[in-house]
Amino acid sequence: MLSIKNLHASVEGKEILKGINLEIKAGEVHAIMGPNGSGKSTLSQVLAGNETFDVTSGEITLNGDNLLELATEERAREGIFLAFQYPVEIPGVSNLQFLRTAVNAMRQHRGEDEMNAAEFMKLAKDVSRQVDLDPAFLKRGVNEGFSGGEKKRNEIMQALLLQPKLAILDETDSGLDIDALKVVSDGVNALRSEDRAILMVTHYQRLLNHIVPDHVHVLAGGKIVKSGGRELALELEERGYGWLGIKDEDASN
Amino acid sequence: MKSAPTLSSAFLHSACDRMPDALLALRKQRASALVDMPLPTRKTENWKYSSKYLKLTDEMAISLPAEGKTGSSLAVPGYKVVFVNGVMIPEASEFPDFDGISIQSFRDLNSGDAEAAAQQLGSTLDHDQAQFARLNGARFEDGLLIRLKPGAVLDQPLFIIHETYGDASGSAYPRVLVDAGANSQMTLVEEYISSGDAQVLVNTVTEFSLAEGANLTSIRLNMEGENVQHVGATGVVQQRSSRFESHCVGFGGPLRRHDLQVRLEGEGAETKLNGVVVTQGKQHYDNHTSIDHVAAHCNSEETYRNIAADKSHAVFNGRIHIHQDAQKSNADMNNKNLLLNSGAEIDTKPELEIYADDVKCAHGATTGQLDPISVFYLVSRGIGRRQANVLLTMAFINELVEQIPVEAVRETAQTRLNAFFDQTFKEA
Repeated sequence: MLSIKNLHASVEGKEILKGINLEIKAGEVHAIMGPNGSGKSTLSQVLAGNETFDVTSGEITLNGDNLLELATEERAREGIFLAFQYPVEIPGVSNLQFLRTAVNAMRQHRGEDEMNAAEFMKLAKDVSRQVDLDPAFLKRGVNEGFSGGEKKRNEIMQALLLQPKLAILDETDSGLDIDALKVVSDGVNALRSEDRAILMVTHYQRLLNHIVPDHVHVLAGGKIVKSGGRELALELEERGYGWLGIKDEDASN
Repeated sequence: MKSAPTLSSAFLHSACDRMPDALLALRKQRASALVDMPLPTRKTENWKYSSKYLKLTDEMAISLPAEGKTGSSLAVPGYKVVFVNGVMIPEASEFPDFDGISIQSFRDLNSGDAEAAAQQLGSTLDHDQAQFARLNGARFEDGLLIRLKPGAVLDQPLFIIHETYGDASGSAYPRVLVDAGANSQMTLVEEYISSGDAQVLVNTVTEFSLAEGANLTSIRLNMEGENVQHVGATGVVQQRSSRFESHCVGFGGPLRRHDLQVRLEGEGAETKLNGVVVTQGKQHYDNHTSIDHVAAHCNSEETYRNIAADKSHAVFNGRIHIHQDAQKSNADMNNKNLLLNSGAEIDTKPELEIYADDVKCAHGATTGQLDPISVFYLVSRGIGRRQANVLLTMAFINELVEQIPVEAVRETAQTRLNAFFDQTFKEA
């Protein structure tokens, strides 16, 4: 489904990604782990099309289509979804209006009729319950005054509404307590399906106890330095990154 | 040395004398004060950002005729008074059938009422700050006198449609005086519209006098065309425990100036001033507000938002004056500005003068652009770039638009805003 070949990307002239190669097939769940500053978030942002980052060489294809030629909104319509590490607060736009506009943009792209307000309200209420978010949050400004956990649940809610082909979860576990982690994980697990792939970017392995990955990759210094199965994550938890020759001050927690 | 420009003497002559004697006498007296009236320049403090947009010609001194005009047939959800070129058109108007209110053209006032009106006209305004209210005082050819009896509550909004026909160059001087008795209530909507494309000046004055406990809502919608230079003033004087709420929505033009002056004279009076301004192309809009806390225990809350696109220019000047005896005053002023293009300009200036020691007075002003991270967030959900820009721009003013208490006005404003979005944001 997703194929990344020799991807190099930089921000303000500084190279962050230095030759990433990654193949993700439909139905698979991949986890990318690595210390802070290794390029994990950059990879997520580049996949979603953030123009702050310059792709200097390499290629990314989604089901054979060149992703790098598509603008962010076109990538989203082709099925790329990024759950943000820091979801953006947008006062003045209600969450409901935002979600409905997004869902209808996707439907329009697929040649389907737009959902009317009543239809969408019913759907949105159902999905908000699925991520244990009070439907009252639909009326509030996008992420406005939401707690860290509420923001992350709102991200998963968007994924459930938009039904992407590839969901990229950037540090979705950060800032979550145990209960919230369970809710978010249940939401992500509900997304798992044979025709969808999930890419989790995380510093810690605890999320992987809830969402069990098929493949684990270690990103360091802008490159994938090791790949393996689920056991690699457990090994990282036990031994830190040091045994791979990677320095990480934050790996101890 | 070049002498300072003064108002052309062509502007000193009124054409029409179809008004009661007391008002004609007042007009004449005001006209004599206009002789050698200096025109604002870059060096005039309260016009420094706007004087360059004021372009008066002698042709514009001519009063635009109202004869033979039928006036707007615009349907409104409420009562309606139609003014054409500053003159009331009774045939186009729909008055309430209600004893609690009297709505009269200045031309129809009996001599006693005219006498009383002449005493009141101009009394709410500081003419040194709203210089052009003097010109209106010298030139008005009609006007609307609204008197609400004590305790009267008007059940629906009253719309005043001020329509200017710019078939030929000239000027119009709409004038409104609202005298709200104790504990009376009403909502007044003033819509300024125009047709034609000759260069015209619209010079307005609206005055509100609120007796004890009166509750008045004023909505002002400026939607005149690219041929209209608009210089307007609104004066408000509030007695004890009265409440005034103002919603000004303005779209730019070659020159747009509105002075809004509120004087809180009675204890416990409250005023709330909201404003939204949208400019594009080479348009201009200048809002000057002034709130005088004269009495103690009064509240004022002011929120203005400017959106400037292309090479347009918006100005906000907010003055709050807390007088020595106005203890326990509570004043809050907030102005936020959104620049949609690098060629646009917004000038904002708070002016606080506080002479009492036990007061709360907060103010804040910010100017920025659409947040690229917010745009990225929206488009990453498949929302088109154009629509993302529209959502975020609308988000900037949504709170104020939603507070406008008359749905029909919100819809009219939204229609104009949508046209603005269509012209400003192109699909990538």
